[in-house]
Amino acid sequence: MGKIRRLVLDVLKPHEPTIIELAGQLSDLNGVEAVNISIYEIDRRVENAKITIEGDNIHYERVQQVILENGGTVHSIDEVVAGKMIIEDAETPQDALR
Amino acid sequence: MGFLYRALQRLQEYSDIAEIGEIARRYFAMNAFDGVLTIIGVLMGNYTAGVRSSAIVVSTGLSTCVAMGISGLWGAYLTESAERKRGLDILENHTLSDLSGTKIGRASRAAVIIVALVDGLAPFAAALVVLSPFFFSALLKDVTASYYLSLGMAMVTLFSLGAFLGRVSKENLILSGLKMIGAGLIAVLLSYLLDTG
Repeated sequence: MGKIRRLVLDVLKPHEPTIIELAGQLSDLNGVEAVNISIYEIDRRVENAKITIEGDNIHYERVQQVILENGGTVHSIDEVVAGKMIIEDAETPQDALR
Repeated sequence: MGFLYRALQRLQEYSDIAEIGEIARRYFAMNAFDGVLTIIGVLMGNYTAGVRSSAIVVSTGLSTCVAMGISGLWGAYLTESAERKRGLDILENHTLSDLSGTKIGRASRAAVIIVALVDGLAPFAAALVVLSPFFFSALLKDVTASYYLSLGMAMVTLFSLGAFLGRVSKENLILSGLKMIGAGLIAVLLSYLLDTG
């Protein structure tokens, strides 16, 4: 199976542990080279985070385990890039209609 | 060493998640203060009742220390676990997941134990420090000296507690310590005035 090189996840998590903590733990995983977490919605007790992970061999189960361990839940997997290199999504005529 | 370091690191992490430090500090100051004032009451009661046997003072004082310790431990354990469970339930309603097996759940359980221990040990230890001159009363000959020394210890403990709170609030340590001593002096004075004998 091809190696996963990029993952974009939509995660709901409590305010604590912070995204600094979460980003640190995710970046410690084998096969992960960089992590970006940005908060796009904030509630009184929870927050929605967009987590982007890049690496040469990302193991989704381990990523999910770290997120669960920190009290978060993966709402959706918004983007996956796998293979020998990272490619962006191709432009289609439908995109022009947006 | 590695194990101890990891344990401390985990404790620090739990403390950050469950905000244990602040609550434990509050419980510590409040209950140590309670412990000192209660033991002042016991000492003054013994003194005005004419008790001149250090064994009786030690016995009543130790019973009071133990009772305060158990009261703190039990009370804090029950109230804190109820509050923490409620907090976790509310959070679970928001995340729509079971958080008991996560770091948050473990931090919450650790908070209950740490806070209960602080709540029980603070009054116990503070009262024991105040009572300590009576353990060495054989060396002091006169039991009245033990009473004075104990009250002196009480004032020193109160001052230290005040200074500790002063450090927390970044206020004048001496002024903060003196405020605490004020409470001790009022307790001594009122107990003395209650002397009906």
